[in-house]
Amino acid sequence: MAALGAARCLFRSHSRVKNVQKSKHMLVKCGARTLCSGTKDTALSDDAKPQFTDPSVQDILTRITGLDLQKVFRPIKQELKPPTYKLMTDEQLEQATELATEQAKKLLKMPPVLQERKPIYDVLSVDKILAGTDTAKYVFTDITYNIPHRERFIVVRETDGTLRKANWEERDRLIQVYFPKEGRKLTAPLIFKEENLKMVFSQDRHEDVLDLCLVQFEPDSSEYIRVHAATYEDLDKHGKYELLRSTRHFGGMAWYLLNACRVDGLLVDMLKKELLQDAVSLVSLFHMVHPHSESAQEAANQQATGTDLLKIYAQKDSQRSGYIELALQAFEQLDAKSSAA
Amino acid sequence: MVHLSSFLLKNYHGGYVVIRLALAGHKQANRPFYRIVAAYNKRARDSKYIEQLGTYDPLPNIYNEKLVSFNFDRIKYWIGCGAHPTQSAAKLLGLAGFFPLHPMTITVAERQRAQTLQAETSTAEEDMREQSQKEADV
Repeated sequence: MAALGAARCLFRSHSRVKNVQKSKHMLVKCGARTLCSGTKDTALSDDAKPQFTDPSVQDILTRITGLDLQKVFRPIKQELKPPTYKLMTDEQLEQATELATEQAKKLLKMPPVLQERKPIYDVLSVDKILAGTDTAKYVFTDITYNIPHRERFIVVRETDGTLRKANWEERDRLIQVYFPKEGRKLTAPLIFKEENLKMVFSQDRHEDVLDLCLVQFEPDSSEYIRVHAATYEDLDKHGKYELLRSTRHFGGMAWYLLNACRVDGLLVDMLKKELLQDAVSLVSLFHMVHPHSESAQEAANQQATGTDLLKIYAQKDSQRSGYIELALQAFEQLDAKSSAA
Repeated sequence: MVHLSSFLLKNYHGGYVVIRLALAGHKQANRPFYRIVAAYNKRARDSKYIEQLGTYDPLPNIYNEKLVSFNFDRIKYWIGCGAHPTQSAAKLLGLAGFFPLHPMTITVAERQRAQTLQAETSTAEEDMREQSQKEADV
């Protein structure tokens, strides 16, 4: 009993240390980065690489997410209430819009992007004497109220007598049994299967899928990462970035595409919508994330800003350089006309 | 006047607190479900308890698991207050790893093993006898 208490203290402090390390070193492994054929990066130290939670990265991602109030506050399924009408002066209307923007920013808070969690293999004891005494496993959960779910003790006594810690799927299921979270089901909804995902994507309901995924799975589970990857891939393939703009998933999508070096589609979409600032910030973020790429080094040499950044990127690292250069020429012509007129 | 009798539990003469399994939902036939409970010794098994410390579902679910939950924090408190666990509660806690394994768990396991061995040897003997009989017939 005392040993268990001591082990639990150790476990808690160790997991706290682990959590601190996780927040500082949440990295995307080299496996994803080797998709970038153009970049010749060798070993980048973990500290140098910018993470998803860096304030500069978050700043840029919030900017390119956009803040379309009409889309953020569009009608969602709620209980019916009769609408309220208020008579306001212009000042009051401005104040109300400011409050609305504040709330929209809260609603647009990005869900976390984490590494996939490592499976648990801990065995606490092996008792061969108990082998064959029972046909079913025993699963013991600690239902003490004040401990965070990550540190909860959930152990399984197998039929062959081994006492092991429960793996992540069992943990999620049992925590949902004893501490149910609203909207989460015990077995994952069938929408997350491959065939059903394809059907849902053909109906343009990527946002609903991502919201459901957020409620159902933990951010570092393999299911969550798989569903998000599938959604972002489909969006990239069909170029439907507008569906996620001004929602909380846009930052995650941009980060995924950046790490896979496939920003061309997104960049082209931004240029079509004439969002020049967003395009520039996207390219600067790309240079932050991949500082060893050719365009990043070129830009650092020339200290380029604005449209020059885009030109350098279009020349060096993009596959659709033609379109980007055409669009830039169009912008320059517009600028020349407006400055002349 | 507010009736405080339900709040102030009775003090029993010579009674002590036990941690035991109490059957819950006993209006349902053939579906047992136990609550792990701190109660006075003299109380009926399913009647008023002091505090619920967990649950035990003896029927396995679709994943072939028997779900048991323990509120270890409160169990430690009651054991600190001098509560005695009953045999089955102690067995469950032993299987969980909170207590060392209960001696009866080990005894029952050994008895079962001895029985299966005996059954195997007796069936082996029968097979041998049948074979020798067939050979004798042939």
